[in-house]
Amino acid sequence: MDYIVLAQQIANGLVNGMTYVLIATGLTLVFSVLHIINFAHGEFYMLGAFFTYFAAKLLGVDYISAAVIATLAVAALGVLANRLFFWPLRKEHEFTILLSSLGLALLLTNGGELLFGADPKYVDSPFADSIVQAGQLVVTQQRVLIFVVGAVILLALNLFIRHSRMGKMMRATAQNPEGAALTGVNIRQVYTVTFVLACGLAALAGALVGPTAMIFPTVGSWAVLKGFIVVILGGLGSIPGALIGGLSLGVIEALAGGYISLGFAQAIGYAIIIIVLLWRPQGLFGIARRT
Amino acid sequence: MKKTRWILTAAAALLAGSIFGASAEDKAPVRIGTIAPLSGPGAFDGQLAVEGMEAMAALINEKGGVLGGRKLELVKYDDKGNPEEGVSAAKRAIEQDDVDVIVGGWFSSVALTMKEVTRDRILNIMTSTQHPNTTKEGHKYLFRLNATSTMMSDTYSKFICDKMGLKTIAFITINDDYGRLEVENYRKLLGQCGIEILGNEFYNKEDTDFTTALTKLKALNPDAIYVSAINTAQGATIYRQIKQTGYQGTTIASAGNMNPKLVELSGKALEGVYSVSLYAPDSDNPRLKAWAEQYGKMFSNEPAFIGTLGAQAVELIAGAMDEVGDARDYEKLAAALKAHPWDTLLGTITFDDIGQAQQNIYLVQVKDGKITSVKE
Repeated sequence: MDYIVLAQQIANGLVNGMTYVLIATGLTLVFSVLHIINFAHGEFYMLGAFFTYFAAKLLGVDYISAAVIATLAVAALGVLANRLFFWPLRKEHEFTILLSSLGLALLLTNGGELLFGADPKYVDSPFADSIVQAGQLVVTQQRVLIFVVGAVILLALNLFIRHSRMGKMMRATAQNPEGAALTGVNIRQVYTVTFVLACGLAALAGALVGPTAMIFPTVGSWAVLKGFIVVILGGLGSIPGALIGGLSLGVIEALAGGYISLGFAQAIGYAIIIIVLLWRPQGLFGIARRT
Repeated sequence: MKKTRWILTAAAALLAGSIFGASAEDKAPVRIGTIAPLSGPGAFDGQLAVEGMEAMAALINEKGGVLGGRKLELVKYDDKGNPEEGVSAAKRAIEQDDVDVIVGGWFSSVALTMKEVTRDRILNIMTSTQHPNTTKEGHKYLFRLNATSTMMSDTYSKFICDKMGLKTIAFITINDDYGRLEVENYRKLLGQCGIEILGNEFYNKEDTDFTTALTKLKALNPDAIYVSAINTAQGATIYRQIKQTGYQGTTIASAGNMNPKLVELSGKALEGVYSVSLYAPDSDNPRLKAWAEQYGKMFSNEPAFIGTLGAQAVELIAGAMDEVGDARDYEKLAAALKAHPWDTLLGTITFDDIGQAQQNIYLVQVKDGKITSVKE
């Protein structure tokens, strides 16, 4: 019996962890390629969830199509955010960019409250209440979907960054933006693609998680917080770090919640930040950057 | 020549201004400091509350306002559901904006700290807070409309003990003053009638996933899970996730936290679930009907219990001010409120010496997606 509860908690943790990974990957991508810490990242998660809700409601499409539309729409917003905010600010000091991104976050949250209303909404998915039973383990189809889609997308992203021409240009920019520009890499294009990927990933996370909990316009601050914990745990700028960091955070939270108390689960995230910063400031997989 | 004409015009304008100013001064609105959670997870509940107040204020203003023609005006502050924000909002309301009365205290943790700012300074109507200490440690100008969680649990536990046929129960409660007290109350009351309490899980007001806690509770295999959720967003998530973890037993909703939006968002997960409330939506009180009609004209949400409490606060403030003939004589206003029963949209209400309201408590159940009162 106890093993079943343990297995169930680990399963819960892995699914939650996969959403953290999707959120953190975009955050870490923007940092590693463009050296931008984007506080508005959580807002794209929120928009992903809300766009899914409205696509389903206004266009009358099914959940999967709505999620795809939302992801693409928010990815397109990523182009806009880059054009209007991050590209013009690229030569400014890191803090200026950081504060601007905080401003963008507030703008999007309050805009969301104005546009969508403060009432919580529920993204309807046919998979949300359907239960998959494996032995005594109980998981909803939606949660299986989160895990599987998350894994596939991350694999695809990994292949894209390793093998595609654009991926190589992104890695070159990450290593040395000026050097990359000198060898003919179109930095502007790299910026755009990076933001499209990051915002798309955040939106996908929102679209997938939407049906497991109620959504409201301030949910983005929760998402960006989880993203930062994962990124600090895994190392800023490391995608494998985000993967392992996210899944571990999910499982640690589930076990702490399951065996100590859910009331502690959140505190554990913060404790992790402090411990990692003291013991291994570059994160578990980070490359030390001394300036 | 031109210059003197200018000066004359200016002087005339000044004079006119002071005359109109004076007459406007006579009819200055009565300003109600409205402190509610307008952002964060409790934002929707705050919105319902404020909408309830606005609908009642509009009704009263339509009939000519209070104190011989003064309109009621809400001055809104966002407490974000945080005690600290509630304190600073109350300070701003009193010190900077000089409001006439304060209505607030939707969440207990906010009410408990905010009352120290308003202590003996201003008439403070607390609304949905259920923690007994809000009034027990209140002050001479403090009133609370909702029943305390102790009063609610006395009524509710009798029903749970006598009618639901449970042997075991487990709780999932919010980790704040209100939630901790709830668990304490029910442990005692349900323990007395022989229901075994198998466990309790606390969650925080920022949490969005409850599967971990629910997995743990499900493993204890209780006959029922009692859910104490004070905000709609988390409540709906918990009710849905209870079903999603495969739990087959009974779900019980905490007292005073049932609203149409919660029912809509929770879908089938709330069907048949009981709660207790001061608000019976199927009541035929004409005051309630007039308010609900006004509410429907002004807002798109369905009126909820929390909105009726806000409306009741406005109704009582207007009534007391008209009776006393002053908006600021808190001594007299407080005495008037305590002096006799008041007819309101929720029925008759009386206040005891510490400002605690006594109102009817109804048992309600969700049937076919509607909140209905249970007639015994």
